[in-house]
Amino acid sequence: MVTKDGIDPAKGLGWGPFLMGFVPGLLQFQLGQKARAAAAFLSCTALFFAGWVVVGERLFYWGLSNPDDSGSVASTLSRFGLAVLPEVLNLPGNLVGALLAFDGSPEGLRLERMPRDFEHICGFLTAASGMLAAFWAAQAHWELRLRRDLRPAEGESRPAPTADPALCAALSWLVPGLGHARAGQKDKGVAMGIAVLVVFALGLLVSSGHAVDRANYMVWWIGQNLFGGGSLFAALVTGPMQSAGTPIDLDLGIVLCTVAGLMNLVVMCDAYTVAERSVFPVATGAANAAAGKEAGA
Amino acid sequence: MNLLFRIAVYVPVLFLIAVVVVGQHHDNLQDTLRSAVARTVRWAVWTAVLVACMLALALVIGW
Repeated sequence: MVTKDGIDPAKGLGWGPFLMGFVPGLLQFQLGQKARAAAAFLSCTALFFAGWVVVGERLFYWGLSNPDDSGSVASTLSRFGLAVLPEVLNLPGNLVGALLAFDGSPEGLRLERMPRDFEHICGFLTAASGMLAAFWAAQAHWELRLRRDLRPAEGESRPAPTADPALCAALSWLVPGLGHARAGQKDKGVAMGIAVLVVFALGLLVSSGHAVDRANYMVWWIGQNLFGGGSLFAALVTGPMQSAGTPIDLDLGIVLCTVAGLMNLVVMCDAYTVAERSVFPVATGAANAAAGKEAGA
Repeated sequence: MNLLFRIAVYVPVLFLIAVVVVGQHHDNLQDTLRSAVARTVRWAVWTAVLVACMLALALVIGW
């Protein structure tokens, strides 16, 4: 698929900008947007450490693998906090947090497993720093893309998108469909938002509110956190609830909430694309076929 | 009863997933919903085929 100007949107910006996106503000700094770079770095770092002061070494316990004495690659990566999602997207904050919190002694390992007060909301904050870093990176990628692909003719001004694509994606993370509304597709956004909300609410309902719990179902939670508003609600309201027993449909609830998170990933990507297409409209089928022939020749 | 409940949840959830999946290819609500209904029916048929195959396998293997 190509845009009307014959640009292939699938053509990426390369590994450099991709890897630089893991350091909040670095891409903005490269773009010469120093104030924005400082805002990106400070917002992500502040959000991470606001949660880290409470959760600390618990983040190791919530990782995809735990640091141990095996010396394996997974263990080494875990040691530096690289197995914790989505915090790893805010690489410097997470790395410093891991270095400060790691304690390989039996006492340290015991502390990792100890639940603590306010860990639900603080776990959400550290995760939100990773998501925020991803949205800052998306914003910088959009700027890079505009500089690479958009070359207005002499005397013409650069067309502006209906909304910043990265902002649309970020809004959709918090409230599914809000990004579409901002990008100009309000009714479709409402339908997609309701779809995500209903599936998530159904998951919480059938599990009596216990489906979204980072402390107990950390791997599932990674998917559930893709719906930020839902996981924030769960962190504030349902997460701290005491469990009298295991609800009969807990497994169904966990799966539904995770599916809702994955659905919201699609919604976020679509919101980004809708805003993107206001500057780079998609070409007709004939133009696509011509581009395909050209590529094949 | 629990199985019936899960089946009752399955089809509406399938439709909601379809709304999000096909929504990417449309610009307005009407087209999205029309395509989502068609997609849900298609997925439901595939589910039925899958369940029938699994039941047939269970009969053949004798589980």
